[in-house]
Amino acid sequence: MKLFNSILSASALAMFAAPAFAQQEVIWWDFLSGGDGVRMQKLIDGFNSEHPDIQITGTTLEWGVPFYTKARTSAAVGEGPDVMTYHLSRAPLGIEEGVLSPITDEDLANAGLSTSDFFPAAIDAATSDGTLYAVPFDIHALVLYYNKSMLEGTPYLDADGNLTGIESLDEMNTALQTLKDNGVQTPVTYQTGGDGGLWRVFYTLLSQQGGEFIVGGEVLPGDNADKAATAIATMKDWQERGFTPEQAEYEASVALFSSGESAFQLNGVWEVPTFTDAAANGTLGFDWGAVEIPPLMGQEATWADSHAFAIPNEGDDTISGEKRAAVMTVIGWMEKNAIGWADAGHIPAYLPVAESDEYKAMEPNATYASLANNAAFDPQSTLTGVASPTYDAALNIIGPAVHGYFEPEEAVQQIKDDLTAAMQ
Amino acid sequence: MNTRRLESAIVTGFTIIVALIWVFPLYWALVTSLRSENRVVSRPGLLPDEFNIGNYADALFNTQLLTWYVNSVGTAVIVTVVVILISMMCAYALSQINFPGRRLLYLVVLASFMIPSQALVVTQFILMDQFRLINTWGGIILPQLIVPVTIIVYKQFFDSVPREMREAAVLDGGGDYAILFKLFLPLNWGITTALAIVTFIGVWNAFFWPFLVITSEDMMTIPVGITQVNDAFGLAYARLMSVALLAALPVVLAYLIFQRRVTEAVMISSGVKG
Amino acid sequence: MAMIENRRKRNLTAMTLVAPFVIVFAVFFFYPTIRMVQLSFTNAPLIGAGEWVGLDNYIRLASDRLFKTSVWNNAYFILLTVAPTTMIALAIALMINRLKGGMQAFVMVLFFLPYVLPVSVVTQIWAWMLDFQYGVLQPVLAALTGKPVAVFKDPDWVMPVIAAITIWWTTGFNVLLFIAGLRNVPAELYEASALDGASQFQQFTRVTWPLIWPVTALVLTLQLILQLKIFDQIYLLSGGGPFNSSYVLLMQVYREAFQLNHGGYSSAIATVLFVLIAVVSVLQFQLLRIGRSRQ
Repeated sequence: MKLFNSILSASALAMFAAPAFAQQEVIWWDFLSGGDGVRMQKLIDGFNSEHPDIQITGTTLEWGVPFYTKARTSAAVGEGPDVMTYHLSRAPLGIEEGVLSPITDEDLANAGLSTSDFFPAAIDAATSDGTLYAVPFDIHALVLYYNKSMLEGTPYLDADGNLTGIESLDEMNTALQTLKDNGVQTPVTYQTGGDGGLWRVFYTLLSQQGGEFIVGGEVLPGDNADKAATAIATMKDWQERGFTPEQAEYEASVALFSSGESAFQLNGVWEVPTFTDAAANGTLGFDWGAVEIPPLMGQEATWADSHAFAIPNEGDDTISGEKRAAVMTVIGWMEKNAIGWADAGHIPAYLPVAESDEYKAMEPNATYASLANNAAFDPQSTLTGVASPTYDAALNIIGPAVHGYFEPEEAVQQIKDDLTAAMQ
Repeated sequence: MNTRRLESAIVTGFTIIVALIWVFPLYWALVTSLRSENRVVSRPGLLPDEFNIGNYADALFNTQLLTWYVNSVGTAVIVTVVVILISMMCAYALSQINFPGRRLLYLVVLASFMIPSQALVVTQFILMDQFRLINTWGGIILPQLIVPVTIIVYKQFFDSVPREMREAAVLDGGGDYAILFKLFLPLNWGITTALAIVTFIGVWNAFFWPFLVITSEDMMTIPVGITQVNDAFGLAYARLMSVALLAALPVVLAYLIFQRRVTEAVMISSGVKG
Repeated sequence: MAMIENRRKRNLTAMTLVAPFVIVFAVFFFYPTIRMVQLSFTNAPLIGAGEWVGLDNYIRLASDRLFKTSVWNNAYFILLTVAPTTMIALAIALMINRLKGGMQAFVMVLFFLPYVLPVSVVTQIWAWMLDFQYGVLQPVLAALTGKPVAVFKDPDWVMPVIAAITIWWTTGFNVLLFIAGLRNVPAELYEASALDGASQFQQFTRVTWPLIWPVTALVLTLQLILQLKIFDQIYLLSGGGPFNSSYVLLMQVYREAFQLNHGGYSSAIATVLFVLIAVVSVLQFQLLRIGRSRQ
């Protein structure tokens, strides 16, 4: 059979196989689209025009489970990219799956970088047992977007047109109820029908109570379970009172805000360019702002994650030598030009850019830059992160609970059961 | 007579209304695709009110749609030609030559018709990895070459070719290959194009296997490409609909032009119409 | 002697004629089938070797809730599609059959058009039509049920809606088969029964139905085989949700193998699916044969 296999594969290869790639072509995968995608494309074009000897060929795949499924499967069969974007929240899972190739000191030197150039929290999230597995690119978090035009005439705008007077859940609910009473269909929008949106809001509300999702390998131990139930109950209450949209897919959740139907939006900083661009084109039709999520549950905290660059581990096919140096050149260049990425709303993970005057002058980034201190990253666990069992739980348990299919306490118990089972 | 005419008018009218409702999704996709994104989410009416082809330009130039067309058409044509050829040869042998193992082979063909190869994707994928055919046309094509139903249909048609014609050809000194390609193929040209059309539509629409075996954007086929590479962020309904319609356009056009032929093909290849 | 020589030569020719198919079949169907069964007794990842674990995977299947949901949903989907699409196709064919000439061709095109669309185009159009916030069909659903329905997020709606979309997509094919069948019914039979004073309904039950039974049986068989392998529409529309309530076997095979890297366990599920399809096909084949011989 072996001989037969190889004869067949040889002839099949001769007939159909794709042509070999040029030596210094860097195959790049990301999951960045919309405003993010446009800015990343600009960076890639910028790199390509400055480097005639290295050319990036980019592919954008669908965010979330589809991306990470493809990345893992392709790496396993030696068909992965040379470099890919990766969520640091998922790094522990990626390391366990053996998908990430360690970034050595030599690699960093090739990129002209060192670990001390980055926010320590981001480097920590990318490190396991003293080995670095990814190069952090940004920190991005959940923020509160608001429609200034809709809030005009309410007590929630100060003289400069900035959001004011929402410092607790009660105040938030009063504001939402007032809007609802004034005929606003959906006062606050977020992705109520998808894993990402549900998890981000839930994790923010949990962290604002000082709750922790995983402690010492146990899911929601002790009173963390009660805090999780409170977080879900809050989201459920918003749903029952008609404050949030029912089962909104990601796009619909954004459209509700951009079409002026929602006064508030709970979403990541990455949508900043969508509204900046629309306002610049004159198609938005209202003034808007974005602030750090107010301490609704008592403490200041907001869900955060990082995009990072990673090199897939493909066994014998893992890139090395000149190709690897070229990839590190790409990564180094991206970090040093991260101001173009900050334009997409993100906080650069690379300190020389994050601390530059140019960055400090950017709006609305500067308004919410404070959140870097209150960022609540996902626990370092193989259970959490984008496209992880926890995201499944957000979609399959938190979502239905928010929409009234389960009680919050039941949902918490089910999360604990499911994730504990997944640990084995 | 009058009530009959009235009745027939009612039936005609009713049928046309149902047919129009049936294609409403396509109409709505078209209307959406011609609107600006902002208009789309402003809860507009059912009638077209904007004629914005920017979405189409965007779809054509900012996605790899053209590359995916090439991959889809290329792989679908190769699969179709190879399937037709190997099925015809196999069916001819099954129908005309009494070779050892003939009954067994036919049983295998019948059985594999009942069991879709979708159940085998995991091991087929592993096999493709061993052949290093992930992300190649070969990877898309090879497992799709098994279409036992074409053998079954061909065999039925070959069985009904009059014995005398074949015997005459044998007396003329023709070998089996000559008989197949010079006698049986021309005699069964109708069923051949019919099977080719039906096979082509099937392969063109295949999603699951190409979705598994292709990971790089420039090797994707149309059905896979438009789902894997999309705008997950920001507003994109109109754009999504333009991409979807452009993706469907070539085969829809081909169908509209050759609709008589396609209708015939479906009827003949299923054996309902001889 | 010459006869034997001749015979041997013809056998050889036959071998070369069937060889391409047999080779393709052996390599891409038979060999993967054997490998699948082998793998199902191991704990192998998707790519790479595993250890023999005996029946462990099958034992695990017995208590896997998702597996039970998937088996049930495969059956449910068949129930929701096979007979309905056959009836709808027949009804449409009967309507079209009464039209004449160009009008008939035109209406036939409208019904067949969805069938030539790639599945992902179909799902994207319907996902947009049924979008909870902006879908054009939501007012219709609201009128019928009192409020808009997030159909792909509601465990009661998700399977019927995906079935309805599938019927919309594929019915055109079956309509053509029925029209071909109806054209085979000799006009004299209708005239004769009309002379006997048969009503239209009687004409249908006495003349049309018995004569198109073979086509009906064909449509049922093709549909059953087609719908057992449901994956695309569910993956693209609901992803198996909400809370896994629309999972089917092929989705679970995909999830275990490609998302969770459990090649062995996924092969066990695939083996069960394989056997299930074989059994159902044979059963249906026999049933229809009995049905046909009774006619």
